Amino acid sequence: MPVDLDTSSAMTVSTASGGGEASVSSSGDQTTEQPPPPPPPKQSSAKKKRNLPGTPDPDAEVIALSPKTLMTTNRFVCEICNKGFQRDQNLQLHRRGHNLPWKLRQRSNKEVKKRVYVCPEPSCVHHDPSRALGDLTGIKKHFCRKHGEKKWKCDKCSKKYAVQSDWKAHSKICGTREYKCDCGTIFSRRDSFITHRAFCDALAEESARVQTQPNKEEDPKVQTAVAASSPPPPPAVTAKPSSAAVVSSVLPTQSPELPENPTTQILEEAPATTAGLNGSCSSSSGSSNNGSSSSTSIFASLFASSTASASLQSQTPAFTDLVRAMSHSDHPTKLASSTSIEPISLCLSTTNGPSLFGAAGPEHRQYAPPPQPAMSATALLQKAAQMGAAATNASLLRGFGIVSSSSSAAQQESSQWSRLQIEPENSSVAAGLGLGLPTDASSGWKELMLGNSSMFGPKQTTLDLLGLGISPGGNPSGGLSALITSIGGGLDVTAAAASFGSVDFASKDLGRSS
Amino acid sequence: MDITLFTPKETQYLFNNNGHIDMQSTSHASTTSRSSDSGEPSGAAANGKWASRLLRECARAICEKDSSKIHHLLWMLNELSSPYGDCDQKLASYFLQALFCKATESGQRCHKTLTSVAEKSHSFDSARKLILKFQEVSPWTTFGHVASNGAILEALDGESKLHIIDISNTLCTQWPTLLEALATRNDETPRLKLTVIVSVSMERSVMKEIGQRMEKFARLMGVPFEFRVISGLSRLSELTKEELGVQEDEAVAVNCIGSLHRVEVDERRGVIRMLQSLRPKVVTVVEEEADFLSSRNDFVTCFEECLRFYTLYFEMLEDSFVPTSNEKLMLERECARSIVRVLAYDDHNDQSGVTGGGDCERRERGCQWSERFKEGFLPTRFSDDVIDDVKALLKRYRAGWNLVLPQGDENNIGIYLTWKEEPVVWVSAWKP
Repeated sequence: MPVDLDTSSAMTVSTASGGGEASVSSSGDQTTEQPPPPPPPKQSSAKKKRNLPGTPDPDAEVIALSPKTLMTTNRFVCEICNKGFQRDQNLQLHRRGHNLPWKLRQRSNKEVKKRVYVCPEPSCVHHDPSRALGDLTGIKKHFCRKHGEKKWKCDKCSKKYAVQSDWKAHSKICGTREYKCDCGTIFSRRDSFITHRAFCDALAEESARVQTQPNKEEDPKVQTAVAASSPPPPPAVTAKPSSAAVVSSVLPTQSPELPENPTTQILEEAPATTAGLNGSCSSSSGSSNNGSSSSTSIFASLFASSTASASLQSQTPAFTDLVRAMSHSDHPTKLASSTSIEPISLCLSTTNGPSLFGAAGPEHRQYAPPPQPAMSATALLQKAAQMGAAATNASLLRGFGIVSSSSSAAQQESSQWSRLQIEPENSSVAAGLGLGLPTDASSGWKELMLGNSSMFGPKQTTLDLLGLGISPGGNPSGGLSALITSIGGGLDVTAAAASFGSVDFASKDLGRSS
Repeated sequence: MDITLFTPKETQYLFNNNGHIDMQSTSHASTTSRSSDSGEPSGAAANGKWASRLLRECARAICEKDSSKIHHLLWMLNELSSPYGDCDQKLASYFLQALFCKATESGQRCHKTLTSVAEKSHSFDSARKLILKFQEVSPWTTFGHVASNGAILEALDGESKLHIIDISNTLCTQWPTLLEALATRNDETPRLKLTVIVSVSMERSVMKEIGQRMEKFARLMGVPFEFRVISGLSRLSELTKEELGVQEDEAVAVNCIGSLHRVEVDERRGVIRMLQSLRPKVVTVVEEEADFLSSRNDFVTCFEECLRFYTLYFEMLEDSFVPTSNEKLMLERECARSIVRVLAYDDHNDQSGVTGGGDCERRERGCQWSERFKEGFLPTRFSDDVIDDVKALLKRYRAGWNLVLPQGDENNIGIYLTWKEEPVVWVSAWKP
């Protein structure tokens, strides 16, 4: 399982780096001409996964055209009017108009050999016949885009294109698009959006607002929603392990249990210190679709909300760091997999700061049909931002639903969310999640919820939480130490422990006071 | 080259119809005589506004040690000024502070207080907000970023191992767009090592925070990335290749944004030598267009220049930000420190090395920097593409901003950002 996750993230990397904006704007033959990503070695495994351009039928006839031929747009010229055509067939049809003799080539027979085209540029991956492209237009555009001069320039933003149609497509939308960041800021310029994106984390850092990943739910019934609502602090919470072994806990005062439905709503208490965009109610939802993301989201929510609690006290930097590390860094992926491929999703979320939503972008592409291999890095960011925005709304609504003691509303909201997010492809992952959830995870949750406001204190909580996150990936875990170990790498264990301690302390205090 | 070479020069900009600057070196003598006559000298800062008039008079009184006049003017300025008022009141307020320090010889103490107050309230969040907001409303900083990034990308085109040495005050806000550009480059995405050299005053935690962000962003963009910070340097000129971690197979670019004027005047030459020793593919230099150096021994002249520059700057801020902007206030306070530093804190008294460097405010004009860089480097022109990028950038800001290419025989180096026809920021790129 871990391998799968890894490849997906690696692929995202490759797409992000490989795809130029050109590819975004052109829709037709993307698959053919989208060049392979600049391949760092680690991505080799990823390549096999995606239906990469240039993996032709080995029996096909390989054609190598010269750069000149490729750059020539209209090779077939009418002797009467000098009009040029890209294909002989078109010229023949044109000749008909001049009443000249014309001849359309007949499809001789079915055994016409499939042709594939290689790029004349020796350093290009498509120079290798094994990576030849399947059609002439594709190789032409590829050659032009990747090895040709970018002579078409947008007046508005001075972005340059080698293929005129790319430029035209871009010109149509240039300046009309808006880039929206999770934090609500809207940018009309790509570069300021990028800069902002790299530095923005207003939500996580400043308001301790809970944000989790809205990964596509594979199955609406399997979802773990963690919502943090502001005051008043909910009283004891019951937990009800569902048949699917999904954590199930409902806020009793406000929402009745939903015995028929394994969908769970976990409300955590979060003090009113949150100053999210949502005003008094800051909520979030995390739906798990795979080990990595579920653990991430839960972690994020937990820690983010504990941050909220802790912010009554003064946060220790170590704790902040930990939170950041937990929710944003590579670690969660390592939970899910022991291989070392970098988790792009998490990077994304970090970039986006608070929103693990950002992470949904790449993964979404990974799982969503049809894959969009040709997104530019910018588009990727944009995508993440959009999803972030959408998810924020959803979770906000859900939060309200719960607070207004209408569990059905909350449920409805979640399923609606699910509908939005579900992609058929995900079912296998979903199954993995559903089945893999160990019972003790649920009981852990129960404990957690029963533990009420000291929920952040007991280390088992963390343990079980982690178990929940990990087990779908088939990597059941031990205690806190296991958490630390599996997190591995960069995290300073003592710092982590210390931070846990401080959280513990903080939340206990909180519990007493409430 | 000797510093005295610069002193007799003053550059004037004459705009002709096609938006280019003619640069002529004219005699410097006029400035001195000008300042001693009617009190209505020509120049951008002197539109007959009360603040500049009173401030000038006061500066002259201080120079002449006319204590009753000094008292009178200081009192008047104190009555009229306010850091929260209009442009005139603000200028009056901040320059009054500097003049008062000068008159009472308390500049050093005052500067220290201002600095430590600023450092206390300096956090990553506030710094980030400030910089990003400033970038959003004004091309003052982004102009240099776009031009420098363009020059760096072109100079390092095709290289597979890049090393950018960033000596600047931009908190890395320049780099996300460069990373994105690298990620979408035609050929293979190169490795990028970013070594940031920060001045002493910068909080360590701030850079740590920034480093993490840059690393994450680079990963997002799929650019193999390494981030290093070098801080606590006392002398920039003593940096070595080894300390900077420059490898033989790396293509090096050095990016100096607003950092060279912070180097002590005596050390500047050494810094340029040091840069030369790194054998970079390109050095980009961005400096604000003001000359607080050649007049450093002439208080009134220096005051005039300082007033000219900061009047422009304050008016620009006024024009760019909403009136109640907190960021604007912070930027103005930064100016307050600089003004005190330039006018009332004589760097000759500072040879004890108390400050550890990094807070010099002796700005030089583009042509002065050019003279310095010509010793070790050759100027390079910005390509048409970069110029177009910068022009496209300026289009999105309010009217009043322009890109101007200098014309002339010797001084046609770099490009200028002008605001209301006044050159305010200078960007240049140099190759060994």
